[in-house]
Amino acid sequence: MNQRRILVVDDEPQIQRFLNPALTASGYEVILAATGAEAERLAATSAPDLIILDLGLPDKDGKEVIETVRAFSEVPIIVLSARDREAEKIASLDLGANDYVEKPFGIGELLARIRTALRQYAAGTSVPSRFEANGLVVDMVKRVVTRNGEEMHLTRKEYQLLVHLVLHAGMVVTHRQLLASVWGAAHVHDLQYLRVFVGQLRAKIEDDANNPQFIRTEAGVGYRFIAE
Amino acid sequence: MADQGQKNRPDPDKLLQLAARETRGKLTVFLGAAPGVGKTYAMLLRARRLKEDGADIVIGLAETHGRVETAELLDGLEGISRKQINYRGKVLEEFDIDAAIARRPKILVVDELAHTNVPGSRHPKRYQDIEELLWQGIDVWTAMNVQHLESLSDVVASITGVTVREIVPDIVLKRADDVLLVDLPPAELIARLKEGRVYLPGNAERAAEGFFKPANLTALRELALRRAADRVDDQMIDLLRQNAIEGPWATGERLLVCVGPDSLSEKVVRTASRLASGLNARWLVVSLTQTNDAGSDTSQRLDKLLNLAERLGAETRRVIAQDFVEEIFRIARRENVTQIVVGRPKSARFANPFRRSLPDEIIKRFTDIGVHIVTGEEQGTPYVPPSMRKRTRLELAKAIALPIVATGVTTLLGLAASDIVHAQNLSMLFLVAVILSAMICGRLSAMVAAGLAFVFYNFFFLEPLHDLSIAKPHQLFSLIIFLGVALMIGDLAGRLRDQVARSRNQAKNTQALYEFSRKLSGTARLDDVLISTASHLHSTFGTGVVILMPYDGELSLQTAWPPDQTLDGTDMTAVRWAYEKNERAGSDTATLPQIGWQFLPILTSNGVAGVLGLSTRDRAALSENDDRMLTAILDQTAIAIDRAQLVRENAKTAALQESDKLHTALFSSLSHDLKTPLASITGAVTTLRQLGSRIKADTRDDLLVSIEEEAGRLNRFVANLFDMTRIEAGTLKANNLPVDAAEIILSSIERTKKLKPGIAIDTSIASDLPMVSGDASLLGQTLFNLLDNATKYAGDGPIAVYAKQDGPEVAISITDQGRGIPPKDLDKIFDKFYRRVKGDGRAPGTGLGLSISRGFIESMGGTIKAESPAIRKRGTRFIVRLPVANSGDEATP
Repeated sequence: MNQRRILVVDDEPQIQRFLNPALTASGYEVILAATGAEAERLAATSAPDLIILDLGLPDKDGKEVIETVRAFSEVPIIVLSARDREAEKIASLDLGANDYVEKPFGIGELLARIRTALRQYAAGTSVPSRFEANGLVVDMVKRVVTRNGEEMHLTRKEYQLLVHLVLHAGMVVTHRQLLASVWGAAHVHDLQYLRVFVGQLRAKIEDDANNPQFIRTEAGVGYRFIAE
Repeated sequence: MADQGQKNRPDPDKLLQLAARETRGKLTVFLGAAPGVGKTYAMLLRARRLKEDGADIVIGLAETHGRVETAELLDGLEGISRKQINYRGKVLEEFDIDAAIARRPKILVVDELAHTNVPGSRHPKRYQDIEELLWQGIDVWTAMNVQHLESLSDVVASITGVTVREIVPDIVLKRADDVLLVDLPPAELIARLKEGRVYLPGNAERAAEGFFKPANLTALRELALRRAADRVDDQMIDLLRQNAIEGPWATGERLLVCVGPDSLSEKVVRTASRLASGLNARWLVVSLTQTNDAGSDTSQRLDKLLNLAERLGAETRRVIAQDFVEEIFRIARRENVTQIVVGRPKSARFANPFRRSLPDEIIKRFTDIGVHIVTGEEQGTPYVPPSMRKRTRLELAKAIALPIVATGVTTLLGLAASDIVHAQNLSMLFLVAVILSAMICGRLSAMVAAGLAFVFYNFFFLEPLHDLSIAKPHQLFSLIIFLGVALMIGDLAGRLRDQVARSRNQAKNTQALYEFSRKLSGTARLDDVLISTASHLHSTFGTGVVILMPYDGELSLQTAWPPDQTLDGTDMTAVRWAYEKNERAGSDTATLPQIGWQFLPILTSNGVAGVLGLSTRDRAALSENDDRMLTAILDQTAIAIDRAQLVRENAKTAALQESDKLHTALFSSLSHDLKTPLASITGAVTTLRQLGSRIKADTRDDLLVSIEEEAGRLNRFVANLFDMTRIEAGTLKANNLPVDAAEIILSSIERTKKLKPGIAIDTSIASDLPMVSGDASLLGQTLFNLLDNATKYAGDGPIAVYAKQDGPEVAISITDQGRGIPPKDLDKIFDKFYRRVKGDGRAPGTGLGLSISRGFIESMGGTIKAESPAIRKRGTRFIVRLPVANSGDEATP
């Protein structure tokens, strides 16, 4: 199998200093960029399979890089930032970043996110007809959801919500993205809908809705469906 | 039905009134028709009964008038001793309101609601004392006779022929929570009077004979009964409204009362008041004028009238309109008026289109509304044009002397010129005298001059001479014409003069006000506004001025002009009154009129901002003109205070926003500076642990080195933060000793080179560099910070470090060859967390180094400054100056 190529965009030499050997040791080919402009150039010319992007860059805002890259490529982007500000994260995700990792992070966490993103990317645009994780089965052809073999009765909105989440399993989906895809663009600010429906959905599919195993809340950002 | 639902809800206004009443004390009035019906007796009897039930009831004041059975009731009841007041050499006893408030009983009995207090008391009238007690939350029982009620005073006077001087505004009775009627049939009352059981003050004995007639007493009794019945109605309706019980409610009648500045209007108001209370209707008094002549004589008459109406319980409104009938129509429709009351004088002496045609016009216009017309002679104080009033004796003398002189001189001139001028033409000369008198002394003078001219002209110049008779009929005709012309011209010229005088006065006021507002507009600070106001008022009225504003919950003196003004305890009571009640207090007012100050609330858009005091010790009461001026100045001051407070708020908000911005910057900086080393360490450690076996040995080493370095970086950052905290908290103490600067410079360079290998540093230290006074470790840290800073911005060229003696100081300079700092930023670089910004809003370093360096150097008694550009338009130079150590201080190593 071809070696996957990862573009690491970070201006802090000390971050590159450990990311480079860690990713290399995990079997990835690493190319490095220290500025936004360089990152955009390399994203266009060296066809990376994934981009790890620090939002704080010396020449431009990392969000601009996401926008530019998204104009020509669907390559997965994982955002890396010391700025633990919700607004930053949400804006990046809404601009098209696939996931984010907050500094400081363990290398294991980053590698897991990379694997999920690469898997999703490999699946491409072809929507799977069936999803299965921990006894939960979503059959997208028959539109049937079963839990440990038992059929669940979901409303149309609950089903749409669940499908959107499992299609992005392992990755964070922002409130805005969920609202736009399930309720439509006019409702992107109606967070209350989402809360209510996620609550109902959890009540149906989770063993314990107060300690959810499938739909995890990413505080202030959105939800993440845990498939492992 | 929605409408129905609305109706059935309790009226919120009514509930609010009820709530207000609950914190306020309750007023119970024992109402009687005449003296001697036994009000005090009834009140005390009831008090005793309550006392026996354990109520906290105290007698504030009870007039027994020597009646034994009444006095007996007082036994065993707690009383408040009366206050002794010295008035014109006599010691008078008066109700002690302060003692009553201090005792603060649940219920206080204070007899004689209509009583007028001895001058020198807090309030001129007892009902004002009682109002304050209620306001303090004390329940009060009091007693009064119906004839003291303001709206009835003229009726009582017309029934009994006795004019009542002690008057209680209707609103007091209206607001009473309970009215108890103490009734006695007239026959019994007369019997009691004959037995001498009714107390009457000595001077009233004669009047009493006329007063206590069965007819009078019956009429008064009817009045009292009717008032009490009205009250029962009111309470019933209030109860219905509070509890949302559906009607039939009040008649729903609403009266509109139209008044003008004429004297009949007072009667109109009183009549309307009786009508309204008889109908149990709300009533609205509207004053109609065509122009907004605020402050004029007319306007003041209207003010008085509307005040009366308010005391009688009306709503009032001032309306300026050109078409009165149209305006009345509009108000009537909007306010659901059911009846209109308007006055029509029998004789219209003064041309007033409003009065003459209004009732007829109204009747014509309104077909569905009842119109009451109150007729009457011009009565009460007749309306006098302002020019004829307020003339001092001196002015009067002048007004009469001038025409005598003027016409006298004219006569002499005429006699001298009679040979050359025809007698008929001399009349012109007399007209000049008339005009002159009018111009100088006004219309009265003109009239006198016209009369005198008429006599002199006839006497000296018309045949037969020296005789007042007239020979020829045509001369009689011209003489009459002359008199007419003289009177007319005199009147016109006089009017003109009055107008000129008025305009001049007005212009002067406007000018003064303009000056004042200009002075105020230049001041943005509250203190300046207050001082400007006080000094302006002082120069305008020539009296002491104080301004008090709340500070920490207490009203305190903010400004005084002249500055040595002081206020005593009573003054402060008046100040608080003015502040809390938003009304004037002190001299010329109803509250504490005996003190030497008048206090006025300064009302701004945010409520009462403070109180202004004018000393009245060294000057008479303010004239109406002064008072208007004062009001205008107060308004200006209030606006200026508002503005000053806004400016202050704005500055505060701006400062808050600035500090908010700083905090945000600080947190982003802290977050970045702490998290980047942490991220590197965490990343490197987890890489080593999870992937160590797959990594080459030298890469593993490199990761370990990076961990060490990052830990060091974190350590320096934390140390910087602690240093900063020490500097800020003021706990940093430099241990200043003579130290060898050269040694410290070299060791700092060593340290820098260890951290940044390969950095080029040129060093030049004067060989005769003396010892400096300083703290070795603080100086070392400072130099290291400066060098570290220089390496970050150094550019390509080497860093230069120089040290030499400069007078009493040693100067150490560190120069880099980077881009330099723009001059506008040079001041800021020593600020905490200030960093020259990179493209992404982030800068290398913590933004603390220079700030800490300055803190350290200053604690050693030295200075630090930055220069840029340093060399050939590039670079930055930092110069540290430290005092040379005294040779005597030199410690042995």
